[in-house]
Amino acid sequence: MSGPKGAPPSHPPHLPHLSLQALLDHWLGDSDAAATDAADEHLMRCDACGAALDELIALGDGVRAALRAGGLLVVTSGAFADGLARRGLRVREYSLPHNGSVNCTVAPGDEVLVSRLQAPLAGVQRLDIRMLDSMTPEQPREQHDVPFDAQRGEVVYLNPIDALRRLPAHSLEVTLLAVEPEGRRELGRYTFRHAPWPAGGAA
Amino acid sequence: MDAVSALADPGPEAALARRIAEAAPGRAPDAEAALYRLLAPRARRYGLRHLRDSEAAADLMQHVMALTLERLRSGALREPERVLSFVLGVCRLTVMDLKRGERRREELLQRYADALPMADLHVAPRLDHEHVARCLERLAERERAVIVMSFYDEQPAETVGAQLGLSAGNVRVIRHRGIDKLRRCVNAGRSAA
Repeated sequence: MSGPKGAPPSHPPHLPHLSLQALLDHWLGDSDAAATDAADEHLMRCDACGAALDELIALGDGVRAALRAGGLLVVTSGAFADGLARRGLRVREYSLPHNGSVNCTVAPGDEVLVSRLQAPLAGVQRLDIRMLDSMTPEQPREQHDVPFDAQRGEVVYLNPIDALRRLPAHSLEVTLLAVEPEGRRELGRYTFRHAPWPAGGAA
Repeated sequence: MDAVSALADPGPEAALARRIAEAAPGRAPDAEAALYRLLAPRARRYGLRHLRDSEAAADLMQHVMALTLERLRSGALREPERVLSFVLGVCRLTVMDLKRGERRREELLQRYADALPMADLHVAPRLDHEHVARCLERLAERERAVIVMSFYDEQPAETVGAQLGLSAGNVRVIRHRGIDKLRRCVNAGRSAA
């Protein structure tokens, strides 16, 4: 790794570089005070590690931009979804009871679309999600081994709102499947009946 | 500000600092620009890590570099070879002051802003978020969830784990695996572009 223009590279040969794990811990606040100080000192003289940290920071910026652009389907937590609204994002949320259904849409100004599915998750070790929409009934999509908090009894995910906004009226059936030694057991089935936002309608 | 003995090793920064200190004030512009290009990004990273605000980090960087150059020019920094210790010390003290509310960001630039050399800095380019989204889609569900929740708000493993029913240790393992895959995918896309 070369140094900045006009100066030689700065890194003493005896100084080992910070690992990716150490950089992640440093950046995300998982290092204790001593490790944080040591990483700060290292980064003050090592441009290779500084560049690696810059790369992590850029990845974080990219993750935030991807989420804000509405292109991701990602399972998350209720607390995380709540935090998006607190930070000023316009969040549309549909919370379904166990085996429930809902009429839903996406308004022009919506930035995040959250689905919350109530489910009996106690004792579940592993969870899959199957999604089947009425436009392509022969092509179910599955999300395997999704994270969930059994104590809260809900599965929360963010939808790819940008793609949904462009879709015609259709229904989406979401099935939660507990993965058990004997096979998969259906935990709940939910139906979203999507209609596009009416042309000229106020958000 | 000289508490960091590990930073006392001579390096290119020390040589540049000595050139500035040994010249008449303001008569070593090349050395000043080179030192600025070396140290400013490091001060900015420190600010990003500890202030979590890119504008505040940029202000910190300018303040620290202006103060450092002013001290070198005036001879007030008696051991120029310890310039790294000085810079880190100023970073730490300034961030502490900012966090205590004893110093306002606007104050950082007022005194020394005119003393900075004109020097272009390399800043990491912004990533194409659509490409990042495609790479995120390739991750396992847990990896994607942990990466998004960790990086969106820059949350530690314990916080993310508490929300997902995972241990902090498990989150760190998933996070490390996921970010390594994400990094490779994003870099592969940039190389192909």
